[in-house]
Amino acid sequence: MSEFTYNTRSIDLTPEGEFYKESLVLLEGALIELTSRLDIFRKYRAMTHDRDPIEHYKFRVKSAGSMKEKLKRRGLPVTSDSALTKIYDAAGIRVISTFIDDVYAIADMLKQQSDLVVVEEKDYIRNPKPNGYRSYHLIVEVPMHLMDSISKVYCEIQIRTIAMDCWASLEHQLKYKQNIVNQELIVEELKRCADEIASTDLNMQTIRDMIMEQE
Amino acid sequence: MRILLAEDEKELSKALVAILKHNHYSVDAVYDGQEALDYGLLENYDVIILDIMMPKLSGLEVLDKFRKSGIATPVLLLTAKTEVEDRITGLDLGADDYLGKPFAMGELLARVRAMTRRQSEFTPNLMETGNVRLDKSSFELSTEKASFRLGNKEFQMMEMLMGNQKRLISTEQFMERIWGNEAEAEINVVWVYISYLRKKLAALEADVEIKVVRGVGYTLEERI
Repeated sequence: MSEFTYNTRSIDLTPEGEFYKESLVLLEGALIELTSRLDIFRKYRAMTHDRDPIEHYKFRVKSAGSMKEKLKRRGLPVTSDSALTKIYDAAGIRVISTFIDDVYAIADMLKQQSDLVVVEEKDYIRNPKPNGYRSYHLIVEVPMHLMDSISKVYCEIQIRTIAMDCWASLEHQLKYKQNIVNQELIVEELKRCADEIASTDLNMQTIRDMIMEQE
Repeated sequence: MRILLAEDEKELSKALVAILKHNHYSVDAVYDGQEALDYGLLENYDVIILDIMMPKLSGLEVLDKFRKSGIATPVLLLTAKTEVEDRITGLDLGADDYLGKPFAMGELLARVRAMTRRQSEFTPNLMETGNVRLDKSSFELSTEKASFRLGNKEFQMMEMLMGNQKRLISTEQFMERIWGNEAEAEINVVWVYISYLRKKLAALEADVEIKVVRGVGYTLEERI
């Protein structure tokens, strides 16, 4: 998704560069750190299990616009400092897996990394939100080594299955439209889909376990 | 629940099968009276839907033979609107209800539900065991914290388990009640579906689980 540029002049010119200032380097750095760990995990797993647990992942630094809006909403000062210390998802990664077991394997892998501090974890797969939303959320603190200090940077990692991601993308659209006709009906149908998807995800996991047993 | 559908108009039959399956019934579709008779005598159905005008044997003839053979399964006759005589004859021959064509699907479904209500084993709309709830109108398996929508056959299996708690249900019984006449169905499919349900009960943190007694069958028991 984003390309890391090392030309400082061009960073200044973007809205993100303007808002986050030097912290943008730290945020992008934290994303590089975590995504490289994901890459290593994938390759290692692919070599030993013959299967990649990650379908794909996306990452981003939260746009200046979204961050300012979030800070305003929370009544926090609209500064880069606030963004990095009071908000946890300035740096965000979304990992999409094929099976539910993979979601937990990835979460466990990250939680076990000795230099990462787990700030918060929310398992919405075991405890879905009332609207049907399911995913695994993990907020970690990544130590960024600078010349003479270590800066702790927060990163939010969302891990979900392909089907959950499909659902979440659709549900997301609901948030950005006003006055939808049949809103209640849509919400109800989305919940039904979420429950059907969850059922299918578990069935596919069962089938996969059956196949693996044969090996 | 298993339904035998005898309707010679293939397009209508296809549509009915789709809707019945969507409503979590297992359906065997036949297209003439002779097939209807053969199937009905051989298998156990919960409801039989017979069109009156069919090739080889009419719905009325089939119905007559069923009743004379002691088959007490509820029968719904599909009749042409103009043939009042057929309806009278049909009801007197032992049909439980009739529906004139063309009919609304919703009405067909409601009449099927009404017929199955009269059976001796009355299963309510909402079934509860421990902290688990099975809702027959939405096919939801849930506990306080989460819910799943079950597929057709999964739902039927859960319904059987929850409705027969002190008993062990054998693989053969599941096969007969749920998969019935499907030629491609293998006996192992029962085990796969039990696995599906087990995973869901575990995910729901249910206080009941499916126990297996080797060689005998499955039952729902309190989780220790």
